[in-house]
Amino acid sequence: MSKVTDEQIIDVIGKANIVKDTSMLAKDKSLTEQGIDSLDFSGLLFSLEETFEIEIPDADIDGLQTINEIVVYVNSKCE
Amino acid sequence: MIGIEQIGTYIPEKKVSNLALLEKFETDEDFVRNKIGVLQRSQKEPEQKASDLCIKAFTDLQAKTTFEIEDIECCIVVTQNPDFNIPHTSAIVHGALGLPEHCASFDISLGCSGYVYALSIVTAFMQANDMKKGLIFTADPYSDIIDEDDKNTALIFGDAATVTLLDAEASLIPLGFDFGSKGAGYKGLINKDKLFMNGRAVFNFTAATVPVSINKLLDKFELDKDDIERWYFHQGSKYIVDTITKRLELDKEKVVFDMYEYGNTASSSIPILLSSGLTTFQKGQKIGLSGFGVGLSWASAIFEKM
Repeated sequence: MSKVTDEQIIDVIGKANIVKDTSMLAKDKSLTEQGIDSLDFSGLLFSLEETFEIEIPDADIDGLQTINEIVVYVNSKCE
Repeated sequence: MIGIEQIGTYIPEKKVSNLALLEKFETDEDFVRNKIGVLQRSQKEPEQKASDLCIKAFTDLQAKTTFEIEDIECCIVVTQNPDFNIPHTSAIVHGALGLPEHCASFDISLGCSGYVYALSIVTAFMQANDMKKGLIFTADPYSDIIDEDDKNTALIFGDAATVTLLDAEASLIPLGFDFGSKGAGYKGLINKDKLFMNGRAVFNFTAATVPVSINKLLDKFELDKDDIERWYFHQGSKYIVDTITKRLELDKEKVVFDMYEYGNTASSSIPILLSSGLTTFQKGQKIGLSGFGVGLSWASAIFEKM
């Protein structure tokens, strides 16, 4: 599988209707700080699992706070 | 054909405000209103048991329709918070209402999928035994098992009860059902000393399962989503109802949502909503139901107004 990009992750966030304008998202800032609440975050994790056909255990969630962290994580799971 | 004739409901007058708990749970009104969808939760009195709530719902049923108690041939209670482990709560309800001795009584231990399961079980039971009138009660008073300091559950669940009168000459009848279980995930929603919920696990289960169940039913009866007049999903939270609506690409206007003033009432949520829609259905209209949660378990159905 080709490398997952930050644009793809942002696309997933956009399709999940979690934020009004994905162009405003900072890649190195926590999504919580950018207004994504706990339910939306659960929805995002579900969308990531579905889109990239991966499983994200609860234990891994703490390390998935920013878009950059998610990109690295998803790529590691897709290897 | 056995179907739904009338529904009585009971939602306790006592309410606990979620807006008063925003600071405690470090949340805001937008989250409580637009994500959880619960502004206040109905709460029974501490001494009230499931059977007491059932009896209140029965009083409401009697106010809505006329029938003879002697004619009731079965009394079923859907609950996972029974008055006692022994005996079954339906026996207590049977005795309190003075139902006849020839009336069969049993409980169904299911949570949020319980009402839809019960509609299938009880209509089939009545059909097989040539019964004309039966009652399905739902009552799961979660206030007894909620940890008031647990944000995952304290802002969601409310107490209520309902009773559905099934009648052999009713005009809202089941076309078909779809059921299922993911028992491996049972720990996602479990009561040990207090109720525990893994919100993410329950969300994932629901988002992945309910749309598939609905589509299976539509395919089975060669129906299109637009053929369904109204959708009644278990009111788990606004977020979950919105997620199902989005994933099935349903017309939002056709999806009934109303839990703002009383909360998630487990197996009572669908019959509470149905009770206010019953008289509005026109001949030939179809409605979709789906309950899901504890187990992890789900049941969906399509009903038609004849």
